[in-house]
Amino acid sequence: MGGATIVPAVETSFTVNGQTVHMALDPRESLLDVLRERLGLTGTKKGCDQGQCGACTVHLDGRRIVACLMPAVQANGRAVATIEGVASPDGVLHPLQEAFIEHDALQCGYCTPGQVMSGLACIAEGHVGSDAEIREYMSGNLCRCGAYAGIVAAVRQAGRSGI
Amino acid sequence: MTAAAARPRVDARAKVTGAARYGTDRTPEGLAYAAMAVATVGKGRVVEIDTAAAAAVAGVRLVLTRFEASELKPPVYIMAGGHAVQSLQPLLSDHIAYRGQPIALVVADTPVAATEAANRVCARYEAAPFALELDDEDAEKLRQPEALPVPALADIAVGDAEAVFAGSEVRVDEVYDHPKQAATPMELLGCVVEWRGDTVVVHEGTQNAGALRNGLALQLGIDPADVEVISPYLGGGFGQKNSLQPHLGPVALAARRLGRPVKFVMTRPQTFHQGSFRPASRHRVRLGADGNGRLTAAIYEVDQETSRHDLFPAMYTEAMSRLYGVPNFSGPTRLVRVDTQTPGYMRAPFESPASFAFESAVDELAYAVGRDPVALRLANDTGTDPITGQPFSSRHVAECLRRGAERFGWAARDPAPGSMRADDGSLIGWGVAIGAYPACVAPAIAHVRAGADGRVVVAVDGHEMGQGIRSAITFLVADDLGIAVDRVTVDIGDTRVAPQHLTAGSWGTASALPAVHAALRELRARLGVAETGMLDVGAAVAAAGQPTVEAEAATLGPGQPPEMLDRSRAGKVAFTGPVYPGFTSFSFVAHFVEVRIEATTRRVRVPRVVSVVDCGRVASAVTAASQVRGGVVWGLGAALREASEPERRYGGFFNATMEEYVISVNADIGEIEVDFIDEPDPLLNPVGVKGLGEVALVGVVPAVTNAVFHATGQRLRRVPITIADLL
Ligand code: FES
Ligand code: FES
Repeated sequence: MGGATIVPAVETSFTVNGQTVHMALDPRESLLDVLRERLGLTGTKKGCDQGQCGACTVHLDGRRIVACLMPAVQANGRAVATIEGVASPDGVLHPLQEAFIEHDALQCGYCTPGQVMSGLACIAEGHVGSDAEIREYMSGNLCRCGAYAGIVAAVRQAGRSGI
Repeated sequence: MTAAAARPRVDARAKVTGAARYGTDRTPEGLAYAAMAVATVGKGRVVEIDTAAAAAVAGVRLVLTRFEASELKPPVYIMAGGHAVQSLQPLLSDHIAYRGQPIALVVADTPVAATEAANRVCARYEAAPFALELDDEDAEKLRQPEALPVPALADIAVGDAEAVFAGSEVRVDEVYDHPKQAATPMELLGCVVEWRGDTVVVHEGTQNAGALRNGLALQLGIDPADVEVISPYLGGGFGQKNSLQPHLGPVALAARRLGRPVKFVMTRPQTFHQGSFRPASRHRVRLGADGNGRLTAAIYEVDQETSRHDLFPAMYTEAMSRLYGVPNFSGPTRLVRVDTQTPGYMRAPFESPASFAFESAVDELAYAVGRDPVALRLANDTGTDPITGQPFSSRHVAECLRRGAERFGWAARDPAPGSMRADDGSLIGWGVAIGAYPACVAPAIAHVRAGADGRVVVAVDGHEMGQGIRSAITFLVADDLGIAVDRVTVDIGDTRVAPQHLTAGSWGTASALPAVHAALRELRARLGVAETGMLDVGAAVAAAGQPTVEAEAATLGPGQPPEMLDRSRAGKVAFTGPVYPGFTSFSFVAHFVEVRIEATTRRVRVPRVVSVVDCGRVASAVTAASQVRGGVVWGLGAALREASEPERRYGGFFNATMEEYVISVNADIGEIEVDFIDEPDPLLNPVGVKGLGEVALVGVVPAVTNAVFHATGQRLRRVPITIADLL
């Protein structure tokens, strides 16, 4: 065992849901931990911290990523979107969130923020041509409660309504 | 409009917006972060532990390797009358009972520093040989009735099963193997602990806030009144979060020592080595029948793993002895000690593996006598509990079978194995199985407060883990009083408002609803209004001349003595059932499954499932249907994917990540059609509900494996079935 690592902090700035944040970060800190522990945005969940479950899915410059595998310093100069920014500021839900409720696409709700963020990306990517395609492109997001049928129905409904 | 749009899950909005706060979503001021270093040997002793490098990491505040028994008493195992998932408390001695046992707790200013420091803890061990599987030489085998001599765990025996089996016209005698499995709720085990003066506040996703409160108080030698446990939402429990975990005491002590709140989130690999899991089990099923497949005798022998330090009671025969009217039944049960953390209750803990074995054997019997598997099951139905001779309070499994067969189109099935093919050449198999799960009840205390503003706040025992108990309670109150759903607030999972007895065994709703129902009667009496019917709550409260009117009620299961409420208040398990004075209560289900097996790859797909459930009255239609679909998803995973593999070289578990422990993903799941009998149970409680969450899973696995037999003619007696089995 060598001595302890002294890791110099890195000045980082990026936007989260449109707000600029500026922080000195340990380059090993994951975007997930920064969102949850420093910015209080605990809607994004930790299910594995290993890039295997999708619970921590957020958008980086509009593309879905797993925040647990992204060092937060890599977000420098970029735009992060999380579940907290999906509904409008006055509380009106996004049609995909409405669809999740209408199809009861959740049980415990722990995977749900990640499913919604993935669902938004799945729609934006144009992967809603068939239920089979939705299932395939939503398969990076595990749901141990098994709410898959509702999730497919919700993504289909929101995806077809042309949002 | 969907049913869910008409009456959505009440906490759905909080969940789709990320507003719902789970245990480790708390970030109090001054928060420090804990991480654990764990043993890397399968068994043995820590000879030396070097924490210097860990302590030198910038931002590290504490590195703890040992607590004194005076500050941290070992807990008592929940099934030995205590509060904890196991009796073994890590960090009290140098003894290592299993790989992954914590050897040090590190607390630091940031998660990164805590993780680095935990990785820098370095230990030298004296390793000892370990047993990990049922057949291992060192795995100690115990007859359960001798190891656990209590009436509830005596081997079930009615009639003379051995003699009748021996003389039966048709006999089935087969052995079925079920692997270890990991519950893997999406929310990791963990907590946020904060001391406020002498009071310790615990935020942890748990199914049993009452056990955490009382168990932690005993461990720390403090008054339970000084412990508050808050758990409004769990990110899934499935039995893994059913009692006090070994991390809580050490984290609470660290927080007190540091004078700061501490958050601990177990790593996912650590959950496989520390969280309770479904133990492996082996089932020998002997069925005797007449030439028409009428069952005359069943001998159902089970071996189940337990740990070295605890005896996890095995109750496989309880439900299987009631699946059919078998007059002669015996169920010798053995426990087998292996060197792991104590295994535990994972959704339908016994009933799902048991149904795989028993319902496979029944399918084998159907083929042995040349009778349709649905008809054979209907012919063996009974209205009487064959073990006690009492009636079932309600039993609609025959209707589940008939309705399911109809919806599935079972009549079109050609019974010959390998006889049905799809256009693309895939083999088609149709399988059926039934399930049963005991309808148990726990004591519950409900408090209702009605305001002049027309709002009603309900506080009651219960934990919301996704099953929808908050919705079921809300709908009961709204419908009883005739008020809008958004006028009702439900406080559960919080020791500040009710004892918070364990929510498990599918008794949550059947326990909470009767208490709330009784509290509403009391409320109506206090308001001086009719016992039933629509109520203008605000006007009635105003007429009483007070800002609020409150009422409380405590309920017990049928025949339960009032002392059980004290047990519940003490954080102990206090449920009763499924045998009550004068009747026996089970929930029932029938599953119909279609598999398709690709001709060249032999990959198994499950395009459709039809499940029909008898859970008494359906308390919340939307969440109930979701729960059943979830149970089916679990069953498909258990049949085709899930197994926790023992790590023979280093101990513990081999596939200890979400990637390697394979659960069903979205693309694995096809159509799941769910239907309910929705007949209120007339005896169990005034609300008419039985349990649902677990029975939904029971029977799915054999419905799949029976379908695989129908498709291929291969009878596979070990799950999960993989491509390799079918090549
Ligand atoms: S927490 Fe990031 S993928 Fe699981
Ligand atoms: S809703 Fe519980 S994990 Fe998906």
